[in-house]
Amino acid sequence: MKVAVLKFPGTNCDEDVLHVLRNVLKVDANIVWHEHFKADSFDAAILPGGFSYGDYLRAGAIAAHSPSVKQLELMDDDCKPILGICNGFQILVEAGLLPGALLLNSTLTFICKWVHLRVEKTDTAFTNLFKTGQVVKMPIAHKEGRFFADERTLKRISERIVLRYCDENGRVTEEYNPNGSTENIAGICDKDGNIVGLMPHPERASEKILSGNFPDGLLMFKSMLKWMRENE
Amino acid sequence: MSSLSPEELEDIRRRLGREPSEIELGMFDVMWSEHCSYKSSKKVLKMLPTKAPYVIVGPGQDAGMVEIGDEIVIAMKIESHNHPSAIEPYNGAATGVGGIVRDILCMGAKPIALLDSLRFGNPAKSHVKWLVKGVVSGIADYGNCIGVPTVAGDIEFDDSFERNCLVNVCCIGVCRKKSIVPSIARNPGDLVIVVGNTTGRDGLHGASFASKTLTEESEEERSAVQVGNPFMEKLLIDATLEAIKTGYVTGLKDLGGGGLTCALTEMSTAGNVGMDVDISKLHLREPLTPYEILLSESQERMLFIVDPKGVKKVTAVFDKYGLQYSIIGKVTKERKLIVRFKGRVIVEIDPAHIVKAPVLDREAKKPSYISEAQAPIKYKMPKFSDLPKVILRLLSSPNVASKEWIYRQYDHEVGVRTVVRPGEGDAAVLRIFEGKLGVAIKSDCNSHHMYLDPYVGCMEATAEACRNVACVGGRPIAVVDGCNFGNPENPEIFWQFREAIRGLSDFLGEFGIPCIGGNVSFYNEDEVTGKAVKPTVMVVALGVVKDVEKAKTMSLKEDGNYILVIGETFNELGGSEYLRVIHGIHHGKPPTVNPKLEKRTVNCILELIDRNLVEAVHDCSHGGLAIALAEMCIKGARGATIDIAKVPAQCESFDQILFSETNARVIIEAAPSKLKDVKNILNTYKLKHEVIGKVCSSEYFKLCLNNRVAEIGIDEMQDAYSKALEKTLFSKG
Amino acid sequence: MKKFRVEVILKCKMAARDPEGETIRENLLLVHGFKNVESIRTGKYLEFIVKANDVEEAMKEVYRALNELRIFNPVIHELKVSVE
Repeated sequence: MKVAVLKFPGTNCDEDVLHVLRNVLKVDANIVWHEHFKADSFDAAILPGGFSYGDYLRAGAIAAHSPSVKQLELMDDDCKPILGICNGFQILVEAGLLPGALLLNSTLTFICKWVHLRVEKTDTAFTNLFKTGQVVKMPIAHKEGRFFADERTLKRISERIVLRYCDENGRVTEEYNPNGSTENIAGICDKDGNIVGLMPHPERASEKILSGNFPDGLLMFKSMLKWMRENE
Repeated sequence: MSSLSPEELEDIRRRLGREPSEIELGMFDVMWSEHCSYKSSKKVLKMLPTKAPYVIVGPGQDAGMVEIGDEIVIAMKIESHNHPSAIEPYNGAATGVGGIVRDILCMGAKPIALLDSLRFGNPAKSHVKWLVKGVVSGIADYGNCIGVPTVAGDIEFDDSFERNCLVNVCCIGVCRKKSIVPSIARNPGDLVIVVGNTTGRDGLHGASFASKTLTEESEEERSAVQVGNPFMEKLLIDATLEAIKTGYVTGLKDLGGGGLTCALTEMSTAGNVGMDVDISKLHLREPLTPYEILLSESQERMLFIVDPKGVKKVTAVFDKYGLQYSIIGKVTKERKLIVRFKGRVIVEIDPAHIVKAPVLDREAKKPSYISEAQAPIKYKMPKFSDLPKVILRLLSSPNVASKEWIYRQYDHEVGVRTVVRPGEGDAAVLRIFEGKLGVAIKSDCNSHHMYLDPYVGCMEATAEACRNVACVGGRPIAVVDGCNFGNPENPEIFWQFREAIRGLSDFLGEFGIPCIGGNVSFYNEDEVTGKAVKPTVMVVALGVVKDVEKAKTMSLKEDGNYILVIGETFNELGGSEYLRVIHGIHHGKPPTVNPKLEKRTVNCILELIDRNLVEAVHDCSHGGLAIALAEMCIKGARGATIDIAKVPAQCESFDQILFSETNARVIIEAAPSKLKDVKNILNTYKLKHEVIGKVCSSEYFKLCLNNRVAEIGIDEMQDAYSKALEKTLFSKG
Repeated sequence: MKKFRVEVILKCKMAARDPEGETIRENLLLVHGFKNVESIRTGKYLEFIVKANDVEEAMKEVYRALNELRIFNPVIHELKVSVE
């Protein structure tokens, strides 16, 4: 089982994700330059966070034209797991693999802090080891993380919301919405549940030394392995 | 227009044996500017201890380097970008980050963390608000984009910085000893390659701009302000580290102050070799004259010296990242810099002439304000029952209040190394993926104390930085210093500089650690008002953390635990936040510094942490004991009951005990089961200490003295502390 | 008083770099065959609806806001103001 960690010009969190996969989970994983990425060489793909192309024009807008997107579409045809973290989420959205848009935070500033999230959907490639309603903790670090979808899109994707910002008891309120995302949406998936995009950084919450006693992020990567094993 | 003095021009004529050409004059002008040559400061800086067995690279190259473990090396450097930030805060600060990161990168080290040390005027003023917001977003946008976490910093507000803000940025990087790439050209035949941004007219004479004071006209100075491209910088970082892995990169230098001139002359002089380059081969943004090419300070450019056998492998890396590059020439045997333009020789000179700028002997004179500063302090002591009000006011004052508004805008976790984050402990702690090894880093300087007494103030800055690093579990092993002063041609300013460096040297000498680099920024003075900034030496201490899992934070952890203060408190209110904020008194003798005591305290703290005997650690600084305790309560969201009478002190009143900023004091939280062992160790180190209270589950911070109790709600303190800065910056005015 | 629509475009000065414009051109347009596009400059667009007695007054009010509130930074910006 091989996992590709995609790297675009400007991607920053590739080594962080690789560290969790290789050193914590002991999974066969490689950082793959976006132009060299081939779908049939890998069983899963992760698009890490960062500032591809400096976030110029719009975050993820230029990377969405990468030849790797075609390869990701092929992976999707085979229902292979694809995770977009932060900038990776932005790229998937710009590439049309996930719906909606990610806009400037309502605070107009970059926000780096830990937040609570409620797991809304557990039949996806990255949340199958969680319980519905489970409250997890992960950090966010972004300036353009405000998820937006119009009324029509929201109706269409109502069953595809994976994570919502909430308080420590799982209450989804405006006070605990850090960036003004529509309906506190922090992560969504595609119709088959194999493509997931989220703004928080699970790779930064995968080890006790960073996460305290609950490395919730690790469970997302373990879920991916479970999905891969079951779909082999 | 040249800024060289008649004596310097005469010196140049003598060295060359003739008149310099226009281009050569431009090269001398920029290289002999204060910013590039350190001509005013070199003599004084010789005082600093710079050696230790673990110092791999001392001051002089692009960054200092120390070995902290098995072949593992940390690179560290500090730089200032004061003048550009005062004019265009966003880009000035952003390009400051870019420059310092490249300095670390060009030693072959991977940049892993940034610190920002800032000084601004009164944040209630609109001009200052503009500067603060611009600088913070400049640092945030650039640092976040390149994926280097900004993990710590230091910020103070004082009227003297109103027009002349200070923006000092420190960067640390990590690499293996065998991967170090020197900033030296060594092998004749090696190729000289410029990589990165196209060279343009931006930033012409930026270095000499930094060597002048600001005037009204400066606001329009267009060619001196550069715009940063963090995307290009990120590509440079990735490409450089990958190119180094090929093994064919023999020398590296970033193009910063002084541009190509600086890189070519310094690299060849350091290696005692020459270079033959044709600058018409350089990739340009727009048509430039040879003069402009040599002096441009366009950002995001690096100079690579490459073994010709591996040039294809190296340039393949540049191509992969889409970076433009130009092979402009080669290294030669004789120490001579030959610069051609379209084949024709336009400069032929011994580069050492340009690099070895004459060192000046500036006059120093003790300023008259120093004795005024020592005048006795008279004020009306507050009532004990007013303590809550006093403490809340201090908690919301700019120099004490939480800086959360700032560090929330910095990605301080990218790289997954950050184990102790901003606001959590006295210093930042990063793991370096080598077993349990980590580094701790913090910058400190009390500019007001340094103004009142530069010698003691600089000793204090160093003491504080080292103490802070120890409080999280890091053994301080080296410092870099960012010096910021007014006009050195003014003997009173130069006296401040000399005294500060003397303080730094004396402290380091007694404490036993070296200074491995630094930066000097002069001319931070408003030409119109003649006001100079308060002398500020940002001391950044680097500590080695043996086991990152043992790193400590300052939040109170558990009810029932004891709170102890280590160190004795003296009547040293001079220059304190308490006197300034509550009583409007700014003069006074700042607190004394005892290097040997600081060393003992540091060693003791490290042992306590190593043996897991303490739950929380926090040192006392701005605002004194009361504020340090309040901060521990706020962070832990827990109350504490403190008996002021128990504090080991030689004071006459409760406010002296609570608000003196006496040095060498640390507060620790210890579990009852460990108290005996803690006390034994404190006694072994012969440190004054006392249990002064307990952590308690009430929602109050209680201060007791004899029969009186003053209590403040934790929520109220949290509110005052965390919202103050944002409130001030966004208020009307 | 009438209402005037004042359009303000803040462009990066020629002397200052525009990394965003450069990147959009080099990494997006050139890569996808738009070889005839020589340069791209980015900027900010602001539309002001201003109450004033005449065009001059409306323009004056906008210029005052741009300068006093430092919306326009002459060190790096070029200004284009049009009104209808």
